[in-house]
Amino acid sequence: MPSPSLLLQGLALGILTGGVYALLAAGLTLYFGVMRVVQIAHPAFLFLGAYLTYFLFTVVGVDPLLSIVVTVPLFFVLGMAIQRYLISRLRSDSLTMMSVLLTFALALLIEGSLGVVASGSFRSITVDYATRSFQLGTVRLPNDRLIGFAVATVTLLVLFAILRYSRYGQALRATIQHPEAARLLGIDTDRISAVGFGLGLATAAVGGAVLALITTFFPAAHWGWIARLMAIIVVGGLGSVSGAALAAVMLGVIEALVLVTLDATWAALVFYAFLFLTLVFRPHGFFGGRLAGRF
Amino acid sequence: MSGPRRHQASERLAQRGANRSAFGAFGTVRLACLIALFALVLAACGGEDPTAGGGASQPAVGSEGPQSAATGGGDLEGDPIRVGVSLPLTGDFSEPGKGIQNGYDTWATMVNEAGGLLDRPVEMVYRDDGSDPNRVISDYEQLITSEEVDMVLGPFSSRLVLAAADVAERNDMLFIEPAGAAPEIFEQGFENLFYAAPAVADTHYDYLFEYIMALPEGERPQTVAYAVLDDPFAQGTANGLKVQLEEAGFETVADEVYPPEQTDFAAIAARVADTDADLFVGGTQFEDSVGLIRAFQELGYQPRMAAFSTGPTLPQFSEAVGGASEGILSPVGYSAQADLPGNAEFVAKYQEMFDGEPGEDPANGYTAGQILAAAIEAVGCADATPECQQQLIDHIRGAEIETIVGTLSWDEAGRPQGAHMIQQWLDGRIEIVLPDTEVKTADLVYPKPEW
Repeated sequence: MPSPSLLLQGLALGILTGGVYALLAAGLTLYFGVMRVVQIAHPAFLFLGAYLTYFLFTVVGVDPLLSIVVTVPLFFVLGMAIQRYLISRLRSDSLTMMSVLLTFALALLIEGSLGVVASGSFRSITVDYATRSFQLGTVRLPNDRLIGFAVATVTLLVLFAILRYSRYGQALRATIQHPEAARLLGIDTDRISAVGFGLGLATAAVGGAVLALITTFFPAAHWGWIARLMAIIVVGGLGSVSGAALAAVMLGVIEALVLVTLDATWAALVFYAFLFLTLVFRPHGFFGGRLAGRF
Repeated sequence: MSGPRRHQASERLAQRGANRSAFGAFGTVRLACLIALFALVLAACGGEDPTAGGGASQPAVGSEGPQSAATGGGDLEGDPIRVGVSLPLTGDFSEPGKGIQNGYDTWATMVNEAGGLLDRPVEMVYRDDGSDPNRVISDYEQLITSEEVDMVLGPFSSRLVLAAADVAERNDMLFIEPAGAAPEIFEQGFENLFYAAPAVADTHYDYLFEYIMALPEGERPQTVAYAVLDDPFAQGTANGLKVQLEEAGFETVADEVYPPEQTDFAAIAARVADTDADLFVGGTQFEDSVGLIRAFQELGYQPRMAAFSTGPTLPQFSEAVGGASEGILSPVGYSAQADLPGNAEFVAKYQEMFDGEPGEDPANGYTAGQILAAAIEAVGCADATPECQQQLIDHIRGAEIETIVGTLSWDEAGRPQGAHMIQQWLDGRIEIVLPDTEVKTADLVYPKPEW
């Protein structure tokens, strides 16, 4: 049985890591919520963001966190373009299925291009402030995780505020709930969808910067994240940003506690076990309620 | 003014719409299942990553050279000796795969510039297996049966070597491989296989074990923690040391195993840090060694000695851990500085053809070529007939062959009978600290400086 201090340490790490998971999964919820698009390439975009952050850091000397000033607008525009010129061409009755294929191709394209440009070598960013930690009693909170958690919290709050309180957010929710009715009421649903996709991809830029700060990466690294992030949005209730955030923190904590009490192989099963349990007992997810009914 | 009203109306309409089947309950369940299915399929596809590799090699040697180097020999008479190789030139193992290819190309070029083998030029025939063990099987089948190559050499990584060696065995072909050190490879009863490196995985730490035992009792580390990647090669190295240490009475206080897809090492590191072990042994590849060290730093864990299988053997390691590399130990099978016959020539030629100093991967590729050349010249034949191949196999079995990683000989299963050196990062450079012979470039520093 692990010592109480180790359990506390595991709990703290789990909460911090779960926050990062929430940020990484936020975009997926949005694409699915807005357009029923399953974005397999989201993790690939996360690592594209990480590479951009890496090159901005090593070539230009921009701090990883400052680089999002460049990458977020870039990804937002890119996301709008992908929706406008690729996703919107898919037939609406087979959109979900076909979007898997389309974004799968995007993921392969990104991975291949990164391989050509950056080679298959592992990359990582090391900044002084990220390898230290903040001590709270016996528990040490690593700075890079604290930063990741803070960035995730701010990003998700901004996203939530946009969706909940802005005119755009209301129009977006209307589009999600009933596109035809929204169109009848004069909402430009194509534009709303494009902006929604842009927002989703913008979160990938932020997530990529955080990933670059806390982990090493290589072009094929995104495969390992697809299933985990998908599990989070299913457990959280498809289409619910706050549900996915809660699910992410919950899974992060359980994963870390399994890691410190059992071992890493069991911890890797946590996501799939919960995915399975969710599908069997609560296909709507544990936190989301009605599909896309709320954020 | 009409804005808010419009949205209220839309929400009311939407509420009704939501009850219809398109977005209703049934649709949700189906979509959730669909996503789950894709997620699982992708998880299975994505299960391999560069860390999953085996072999005495690393996922990411930063060497980049021409895709296929000219192998010279245009002015040589006679049919070329065609040497077939399948390598992971794309996919997860593409970096080390290219490293091995560079080694093979350097070897072929140097052989041809020196007049070929038996007055015949050497021609390399490459296939790309995309890091897939299934494709590596069909690649070698085709190389042997339809390409009708004269010789084959091995691919990269224990996992692919295991698949390829079986094909070579069935076709009675000699199989010299540059990157399959996992213990399993030598337990399959292969009779044609030889590993072109100084030692197999479970003996990599032999010199370090001897060093620890030679320390005065009071100075020895008392407790040992292990964190090991679930991979035949990584487990082989760490477990080799663990078995020896446990027999000698050292206490194992943590023994963690993690899957290849593990990217977060904070919690694993927390378990190790909780034991405050004197000696830490990491059965690592690259990114896991970096992840563990960073997590140890954050948790304030300072072992007196730390050893990692691979990772620290790569030049980019020091930069990746932000200078925390000082004092870290690793087993290593090749040193570009080593004063061994032919090594300086190899390094010079390699630098002429590619960028930078050759690492372990190119060196092992080159070594495999050296062994093949030595056998062909001694026996005097170089064709795919079972008679010739058997003569070559018999020759290597009893021979001692001089290579750039030292003089090699093999046991019945193809295990090389040498030992790995131990390297240590000192003042930002890799130094050879064990064994205590002429290969040593610096004294081992113990206890290690804090990271």
